[in-house]
Amino acid sequence: MKLHEVKVLGRERFGDHALLRYRWSGVAHEPGQFVMVRALSSPTLDPFLSRPLFVHDYDGEVVSLLFEVRGRGTARLAREDAGLLVSTPLGRGFVFDGKEPVALVGGGVWVSPLKFLSRALNTSGIAHDIYLEVPATASTAYADWLSKSYPHAVLIPTDGSLNSPKTVLSHLGDFSRYAAICASGPSEMLARVKEVSTVPAQLALRERMACANGSCYGCAVPLWREGARIYTRACIEGPVFGAEEVVDVQKSGD
Amino acid sequence: MSFGWAYYGLFTMASEHLEFVESSALAVELCGIPLATPLIPAAGTLAREALEDVRGVYGAMLPKTVTPAPRSGNPPPRVAEAASGMVNSIGLQNPGLERFLEDLEHYDIGAPLFVSVAADTVGEFAAMCERLVGEERVAAVELNLSCPNVEHGGLQFCAGPSAVREVVSVCRGALAGKPMFVKLTSERVVANAVAAEEAGAHALTLINTVPALVVDARARGVFLRGGLSGPAIKPVALRAVYEVSKVVEVPLIGVGGVAGGTDVAEFMLAGATAVQVGSGSFVREPQVVLEEFAAYLREQGVFARDLTGALAGY
Repeated sequence: MKLHEVKVLGRERFGDHALLRYRWSGVAHEPGQFVMVRALSSPTLDPFLSRPLFVHDYDGEVVSLLFEVRGRGTARLAREDAGLLVSTPLGRGFVFDGKEPVALVGGGVWVSPLKFLSRALNTSGIAHDIYLEVPATASTAYADWLSKSYPHAVLIPTDGSLNSPKTVLSHLGDFSRYAAICASGPSEMLARVKEVSTVPAQLALRERMACANGSCYGCAVPLWREGARIYTRACIEGPVFGAEEVVDVQKSGD
Repeated sequence: MSFGWAYYGLFTMASEHLEFVESSALAVELCGIPLATPLIPAAGTLAREALEDVRGVYGAMLPKTVTPAPRSGNPPPRVAEAASGMVNSIGLQNPGLERFLEDLEHYDIGAPLFVSVAADTVGEFAAMCERLVGEERVAAVELNLSCPNVEHGGLQFCAGPSAVREVVSVCRGALAGKPMFVKLTSERVVANAVAAEEAGAHALTLINTVPALVVDARARGVFLRGGLSGPAIKPVALRAVYEVSKVVEVPLIGVGGVAGGTDVAEFMLAGATAVQVGSGSFVREPQVVLEEFAAYLREQGVFARDLTGALAGY
C-alpha cells in the first residue's frame, strides 16, 4: 500500500489519548472513512503493520486523528519526533438521504469519526444531536478534552456495563425521535444500538486490519446478504455498515 | 558493465513492450515461462481490487488460493500483530473454483497467471487440476499443501513425504504438461521437497506461514491460532530454500518476509529462481521493492537470472 509522508502540524496528549494533525492536499476525505498510518522511522518494520484510524476531523486542508496509546504501534505514532506516513482516505463512510434529525452516538475512546461527521452535517444543513458516553475508565484529561472538543454534545458518564442506568439508551430509548442514528463506540454499545434502534442505524466498526486494500481478508465482518450469512471486508465494504445487515458486532476490534 | 538503458525501459514501458523487458536485467525464466521480473505476489496477499499499482512490477499474477466449493472463512479475529510480522488465520475464504474461473479476466496484469489451489482430499485436488489443465489463461498451478487432509485425520497434505508424494503424483497426472508448483511449509521441508520432486513437481514454493499462537494475557485466552508471516520468518524461509536447493533440481520460488530489494536478492542467492512477496506488500509498495532490487543488480553488475544459487563459497 502506498503511504505518503505528511508533516505533523501538532500533537496533543490527554491522558492515554493522542491527537495528531497533518496537512493533506490529496483526495478529499469523507466522514467515516479511515486511513492507514505508521511512523516514518521504522526501518526494521517492527511494529510491522500500519494502523487503521478513523479520521477525527477534516476541514479540507488539515486532517486530525484521535487514538488511544495502547501498544508499540500507537506509542510510536504519539512520539514527538516520529515522522508520519498516511494512506489516502479508505473505505466507505456514512451515507445520508437528507432525512433529519440525526443522532450521533459515540462511546468511550471511539468517538473519532463523529466530529468530522458533525461538521459535514452542518455543511449540509442537516439537524443533528450528539451524545457521547464517557466511561468511568476515561482519564479526566480526556473527559475535559471531549467536553471542549464537542461543546454541543450531551456527555453521559457511564461505567460501560450493560446494565448501567446511565447509558445513551437511557436518554434516548429506542431513538424513535430521530430519522437516523450514526454510532461509533465499543462493540458492546454498537450491539445495543443495533438491538434497540427502531430507526435506520449506521455503525462505524473497528476491525483489526493488515493490508487495508481488500487483499488479505483479515478484517472480516459477518453480514446478512440475500438471506445468507457471509464475511465481508471492512476495508472495502465498510468500515461503516447498516446495523440491520451486521450479524453481530465483533469484540475483536475493541 | 552498464545496462542503465534496460532499467529505463522497464520502468517506462514494461507492460507495452514485453519482448524488450524479457531481455532486461530483471527477467527470469520459471519452468519455461518467461517472467519480466522475478517477483510474484504470494497467494492470498493481492486481491483484484488492488491490481492498479502492480502492472509491470510482478512477473506473474497469483491470486488467493481457490478451493473446489466456496468457503466462508474463519470467524474474526483473523489477524494480529507480531514482532516484525503478523499472524493470520483467514480460513481460505474464496468463491470456489467455478466462480473464480468466471472472473478470471479480472486478474489480468499483463503477466502470466498462476492459480493456487487447495482441497480437502486428494481426489478433490485432482478434480481441480483436471478443470484447470485445459484453461489456457492459466500458465501454471500451485498446490497449497498446507491444508488439512480430511481423509487422514486432518493432517496437512505436507505433513510428510508419503502424503506429499501421493497428492503431487495424482495432480501431476491430472495436469498433463502444465507447470505445477508445490508449496510447502518449513516443517520437514527437505524430505517433503525431495518427495514432491520425485512425484513430478516442476517447481517448489518455499515456505508457507509458520504455525503460531497469539495469547491475550489479560483475557487469559488464545487470541489467534494461525500462521506467522513477515520479516520475522525470513531467516527460516531462507534456510529452507538454501537446504532444499542442494538436494533438488527443480526451480525454487522463495517466499517469507520479503519486504525490500535486498530480501529478493538474498532468496535468489540462497537458491530461488523467483520470489514471492506476501505480507511485506502490506507495508511496503511492491514497486519500491522492485526498484530496490534493480538498484542492487545495477550496483552488483549482475542480471537477476544469474543470481540463483550464486552464493560465494559458503
